[in-house]
Amino acid sequence: MDTYFIKDLMVPISEYATVPEGATLFEAYLALENAQTAYDHNKYTHRAVLVLNKANRVIGKVGQLDVLRALEPKDAKFEQFESIRKFQFSSQFIMNLHDQCLMQDKPLVDICRKGGLIKVEELMQTPTPGEFIEEDASLNIAIHQLVRGSHMALLVTSGKDIVGILRLTDVFAAIFHTMKTCGIEMNVDQDSDKDT
Amino acid sequence: MNALEKLFIRIVQRVNINLRELEFDAKPYVWDLIPKEQMKKFYAFYGISPDHPLNLQFKNSGLAGSYFLGQCSVTNSLLYKTDVRGDELKKKGDRFQFNNLNIPISKDEEIVIEDSAMVKTLVHNYSHDPETLEKFFIKDTISTHYANIHGSPSDGCFLGPFSTVDLTTMRDCVIGTFSYVQAGEISHLNIDPGTVWVRSPGAFNFLYHYPIEQLNSYIYFKAGIQPQGKLIDFVEDRKEAFQRIFDLVNIDPVPVPDSSSLDRYAVVKPKTEIGENVLISQRAYLQNSTLGKGANVQENCYIINSNLMGNNVTAHGAKIIETNVGENTFVGFNSFLRGQPESRLTIGNVCIIMPHTIIDSRKPLTIPAGQIVWGLITNEKDLKTNSISINAMSKINTRLTKGNMFFEGNGESFVSAFQHRIQHILEANGAFFNCTTKKGQQKGSNKEQQKGHAQKNQNMSINTIQPYPRGKLEGLYPTISIKP
Repeated sequence: MDTYFIKDLMVPISEYATVPEGATLFEAYLALENAQTAYDHNKYTHRAVLVLNKANRVIGKVGQLDVLRALEPKDAKFEQFESIRKFQFSSQFIMNLHDQCLMQDKPLVDICRKGGLIKVEELMQTPTPGEFIEEDASLNIAIHQLVRGSHMALLVTSGKDIVGILRLTDVFAAIFHTMKTCGIEMNVDQDSDKDT
Repeated sequence: MNALEKLFIRIVQRVNINLRELEFDAKPYVWDLIPKEQMKKFYAFYGISPDHPLNLQFKNSGLAGSYFLGQCSVTNSLLYKTDVRGDELKKKGDRFQFNNLNIPISKDEEIVIEDSAMVKTLVHNYSHDPETLEKFFIKDTISTHYANIHGSPSDGCFLGPFSTVDLTTMRDCVIGTFSYVQAGEISHLNIDPGTVWVRSPGAFNFLYHYPIEQLNSYIYFKAGIQPQGKLIDFVEDRKEAFQRIFDLVNIDPVPVPDSSSLDRYAVVKPKTEIGENVLISQRAYLQNSTLGKGANVQENCYIINSNLMGNNVTAHGAKIIETNVGENTFVGFNSFLRGQPESRLTIGNVCIIMPHTIIDSRKPLTIPAGQIVWGLITNEKDLKTNSISINAMSKINTRLTKGNMFFEGNGESFVSAFQHRIQHILEANGAFFNCTTKKGQQKGSNKEQQKGHAQKNQNMSINTIQPYPRGKLEGLYPTISIKP
């Protein structure tokens, strides 16, 4: 594993989808679509958009789940449902309350029209200390950080600058490539041999 | 700064340390709440009777206007017009059932109050915590006006005005104004004002949230102000009547049947009729009302221009005005039921008015027999939303949502838990005592055992104790030990 370095696996930030702060969710989607078309050369497409401030520094990240979360209803009823969790109602009970409410919700097209105008700052995730990794770090450090924080990607730094994104899918591919080349022997038939 | 103020600061600090995780600062809520000038003015008092154990210990505490009965110790605490009723504590040799365990009680249970401040609070019943069956502790806790700590050991908690914690051990919790909690065990919870929560793990879970704007008109409390609202106005308007009975050494006795008891510190206004087996506790207020056989009116209850038909439980702090209440109907803690002279409220037989219910209608309102009622009700529409028949509730087996009420679990368990409790309260209060057979009965016979508070409290005398009137210990009581 130590033969890989982060900078070998990362996607350079210039190839990643970015939007300035103040952009809408729909503009973020368009940026993502452009990046996928222009730079993705394998079957694993970019799934997140980075939000940059005026100084071009990364201040947040918008992932697919953040988008879905933003489209969830946020009326008083839903807040009330969430507030009763601490009173030890079962998850099934809370889910049922949500389901009943969602059945009376607006059509999807209306939700998307409204959701597309949400500012990215309202839904982005601010990176936590465990989401940064130096470009010269080894892959086993990256694995540890991805596992410990359940992250889908890490922000790769060079000094104070963010220079790329290390995606879980690229780490995964590197690990399997190493497995294939490290000489593991197939032992499928060993057990059946013992039985006989 | 005198010793009393130093003690108060110490108590607030200890509570704040416990509540630091909730980022709750008790000081601005309570600093002006305990009238420190009054602490030196009022005597404390305690009951002695052949039917109750006597073991009272007071040390480094202010006890102004507070009442004690049974086994209780108070250390480093300030109690203001608080009632500590130890007449239901467990005795050595009793057994306590917890799940499938039948636990023997190794010594007489004691209420132990340490490092706490309590204003106009009621402490009653016994510890339901299987981990502390012989010690009903209240420590590092502040409770405010008309709070009820009922069978609920408390460590590091703050209770807002008119809140009740019932049969629940609580640690490091804030109980919001007018909230009722009966949940077995809670810790590190901040309960919003106007929450009614009744939970039996594995059986049912009931939750109601008051509409806060409307609740605020009844009771409102925030840092830096005294509690205010219709409930406070209501009790303040009748304060003078209590002043009189606390000031007088001898008051004219009000005749009651032999099987009933009327506490010397209850107010009884004219045209009140008291039936057999009736219990009227201290700080109860009766006016132009009829109390049928087996009814009880507990601490801080008000019954005005109303009729209780019999075997009624009016739990601590409940108020019933211009209302007819049917037989075997239960009115829970701190409920406020108010009809009008020309448009009375009528409640049928065998109803369960849940704790902390407010019914306040300008038009006549009738609740049919056999209903469970909760929350805020000001008209027919509210009643429809906030009630269900006991039969219908018993058939719920999964979940029910009505308005701001959420229920999960088994409705039959919920109903029977209430019904068993009501039956137990009536028994404990002596509602079923058969006075016609009491002559010649054997000590320990079934009839004797049917004696409850209504019969036992008849043989009670009251003694008073006084604080230091001046000096460094002004407002505090000397160390006192009271034993038989």
